[in-house]
Amino acid sequence: MDASGEARAVRGELLRNNVPYIAIVLVILLFTIVSGDRFLSLRNWTFIAQQTPVLLLLAYAQLIVVTTGSIDISVGSNLGFSMYMGVLGMVWLGPAGILLGILSATLIGFINGSIFSLLKISSFVTTLAMLIIVRAMLNIISDGGSIYVTEQAATGTYVDSVAAPWLLALGRFPNILIFAIVITALMWVFYEKTVFGQQLKALGGSERVLSLFGVSVTWFKIQVFVAAGFMVGLASLISLGRSGAGTLRAGEQFELDAIAAVALGGTPLTGGHGSVLRTVVGALTLTVVANGLTIAGVDPSWSRVARGLLLIIAIAISLNRRRIGVVK
Amino acid sequence: MSENGSALLQVEEVSKSFGGVEALRSGSFTLSRGEIIAIVGANGAGKSTLIKIVAGVYRPDGGRMLVRGEAVDPRHHTVSHMRHLGIEVVYQDLAIVPNMNAPYNLFLGRIPRRLGIFVDEGAMRHKTREILDDLKVKTVQSLREPISAMSGGQQQSIAIGRAIAWGREIVILDEPTAALGPTETGEVERLMHEIRERGTAVILISHNLEQVFRLADRILVVHHGLTTPAFPKSAVTGDQLVRAITLGEQVA
Repeated sequence: MDASGEARAVRGELLRNNVPYIAIVLVILLFTIVSGDRFLSLRNWTFIAQQTPVLLLLAYAQLIVVTTGSIDISVGSNLGFSMYMGVLGMVWLGPAGILLGILSATLIGFINGSIFSLLKISSFVTTLAMLIIVRAMLNIISDGGSIYVTEQAATGTYVDSVAAPWLLALGRFPNILIFAIVITALMWVFYEKTVFGQQLKALGGSERVLSLFGVSVTWFKIQVFVAAGFMVGLASLISLGRSGAGTLRAGEQFELDAIAAVALGGTPLTGGHGSVLRTVVGALTLTVVANGLTIAGVDPSWSRVARGLLLIIAIAISLNRRRIGVVK
Repeated sequence: MSENGSALLQVEEVSKSFGGVEALRSGSFTLSRGEIIAIVGANGAGKSTLIKIVAGVYRPDGGRMLVRGEAVDPRHHTVSHMRHLGIEVVYQDLAIVPNMNAPYNLFLGRIPRRLGIFVDEGAMRHKTREILDDLKVKTVQSLREPISAMSGGQQQSIAIGRAIAWGREIVILDEPTAALGPTETGEVERLMHEIRERGTAVILISHNLEQVFRLADRILVVHHGLTTPAFPKSAVTGDQLVRAITLGEQVA
């Protein structure tokens, strides 16, 4: 590598590292100018603090996978499925049944990882198939119906419901924020300080070298998706608390938001690097944009267009083009 | 004690095919403590396959391998097991993980842990400094930087340091000096002498026949997937060796 190439690489790295912070400042400034106090109000920011955590935890699941250079586009379906399994588990077993949701999410991660790693099918194709299959399984199991989480035991049996006031309390501010902060701290330790976390980055750097030095890459790649699935399971917990129901359509298109949050956090989709704290900023940016557009009275469809464009911009910046020779 | 009783490594008629292509038809040689053996042969002759079998990367289809007189169970013919036995490789492309720092690359596959799951960064940095001091590498500025930020020579030092630090018994060097200038080449050759003095055996793959004659005790020729019996370098002239490499002629 020549000196100017090296300098370009360093500048690129610097840009990637700081884009998340620049982006969120710009976005907040923009909406402050457009909507002023309505955007800056305590009430609105409480709302943002409630809305970000589910996306944040899904983004962590995505970060785990993306750091290795793979992708998981089944996280939205997985979220919907495990929310339903969690609430169904509570109908069957009482409060402890919520663990069925976390278990389901982890199992889906295991299936993702096994197909990807053992059958050597690209993670994109594997998780795309799982996105469809898991959503269909949710349809089959729920028979199109919803199960609601309520404050008190319902008397009529007209609607399926389960009383779990503690779960609804978890979904409210500030509990949901505290939960997200605790998970963030644990995620940071996991990502930065554990052998597993280091190996995520190393796998994104060079899978071939890891195998040459006796690291069991096949098994590790399965574990990566299991870890991501577990994180989706944690997201399903607070998502249930917040939305109060396991429904057929829960989590639809969340995979795109999760990918966008990771990319807006400056993590290259080519793998090898990543940051938990910048992923927080990425998730927050995405939430603030959606929120700001709503307050500004932008039509929801146009708001989606804006977020789609944001995804493209984020990925364009975060891709490390030196790592990809040909784009297909 | 038999002739092979003192052998550190015995490779007996190992073979390997990939999808019907015979990369190595039959490879045999022995290696003693502190010995330097050079493996020479044309491109595609099977040198790389042979050393990758010794390193545990490939499990041989046939034949067997003994380390310190003990046969390696084919089920355990893995990189981890060979590394456990003290066999390490310096690959031609160095085999470093570019986005990770020097300590991580030095400890690849054997990261020290605390409480079972945490990286023991203190121990890694400490040991890294020791290894780099032993190698007399002083120019590594930061151990936190990704290794891709280092110069080619420093990356080479890390790759060689890794093999020397963990390869108690055998260090395999695949074209270690092909990309180096004279000073760095001299440095690598000095290190080879140093580790043989502590009793480590060296397997050297090199296209540089001058270097082969300068360093090796014995020479092993691989031709079209077959090894010929290794001979002491004093047994051949340069011309004979070239004919053995290109034509597969037996050396007396």
